[in-house]
Amino acid sequence: MANVLIDGLKERISNAVKINQSIGILLPGNNYSELVQALFERIRDNPDEAWVYLTVTKPYDNLMKSFPYLQNSKNVKFIDCISRAAGISRSDQDCIFVESPTMLEKMGLEIMNLFKEADENAKKYLVIDSLSNLIIYNDPEIVTEFFYQIINRTRARDIHTISLAIEEEGLSQYLNRLIYLNDKILKVRDSFI
Amino acid sequence: MPEVELEKEELCKTGIEQLDELLNGGIPTGSTVLTVGSSGSGKTTLCMQYLINGAKMGERGVFFTITEPLFKLTKNMEAFSFYDKKLIESGMVNLIDLRIISERLGLDTEKYTVEDASALLDILRDIADELNVKRLVIDSITALCYRLQTPEMIRDFIFKLGSSLAAMKCTTLLTSEVPPRKFQYSQYGIEEFISDGIIFLGDIERKGDLIRTFQIVKMRGSAHSRVKSAMSISSKNGIELAQLLKSRE
Repeated sequence: MANVLIDGLKERISNAVKINQSIGILLPGNNYSELVQALFERIRDNPDEAWVYLTVTKPYDNLMKSFPYLQNSKNVKFIDCISRAAGISRSDQDCIFVESPTMLEKMGLEIMNLFKEADENAKKYLVIDSLSNLIIYNDPEIVTEFFYQIINRTRARDIHTISLAIEEEGLSQYLNRLIYLNDKILKVRDSFI
Repeated sequence: MPEVELEKEELCKTGIEQLDELLNGGIPTGSTVLTVGSSGSGKTTLCMQYLINGAKMGERGVFFTITEPLFKLTKNMEAFSFYDKKLIESGMVNLIDLRIISERLGLDTEKYTVEDASALLDILRDIADELNVKRLVIDSITALCYRLQTPEMIRDFIFKLGSSLAAMKCTTLLTSEVPPRKFQYSQYGIEEFISDGIIFLGDIERKGDLIRTFQIVKMRGSAHSRVKSAMSISSKNGIELAQLLKSRE
């Protein structure tokens, strides 16, 4: 069942990014792991693409333990916005650690810096994991402003943005407003995959 | 003074991409710019990056420190990828401890008389002239002004220093220490009036975290931006600026 879910998600993501610059994926919490796995398998299977993965959900170390095939991958760089705040202090050549998930401008700078280093001819993708967690750490208005800036900057540079939003009670009004800034919305439901 | 479009050769590029954009190309050559901020705001890093970038563009510079010994300064700077030791060794960037100069001149290290201040001014001008520097930093003017005993002496010192260096087409950054979260540009309330430009390094609080901010308050003769930017300091890129998110906190 899990493989069917992941294959279905991979296909939907592939189809969406072919024709749209930015896609928002709205998903229930219990599908989060499958979606991340689908994204990481896509990254692994496409070494010519350049990916930047911004995580506000799981620490980089935790992601590497869960998906060891991404260790030392040349086509993905991470920005971890939660480990430093949790007191984890280390450096890694494949990950930039941002001090706090409130430092949105710093995240924006690091995203663009990483894409500047990527191969000019590679197709470029940014994953924001996730808008819902950014809202937990910041006021929704400032996350909207941040996301609007990111979407505009990435569009101007031909970078595809994939932003995740995990459905949570109390956040739906903000998430709906944010997610509709994307060109396309994928609503993940088990029955639709 | 009206803002005019200056030719490229009349501008001193800081080499910090986003800052030069905010400055509309660079600092007008020969200006004296007060770089204001509280402890840890990034004044020294900004000034050093300005000197190093200038040296990489072929402009010789000098950094006068009064606040920390040279070994500490260089140790801190070695962490930054923009720092290039060879530029120090080759004399493109000169680091000078002003306290040692004062001692050698036989000046009182605590309080300067008018004659002391004049002697110090002469030596600063002579060094700048002899080294043929186009960029000069004093870190900090606050510590230097502390030794000048009256507001008149401070005014006279900065005015004469600025005028002499402007004649040499040398662009000067003076760091000014202010208490945190205070909207003031200098300790003595004089420095900002004699300077051609003011750059303010501050911070804002967001959910308990401090976000560094950067703002050009004044830059005579330049159509500069006055927006408040977010500032990042990293060992990889040194000072970087980004548009500050302004939504209500």
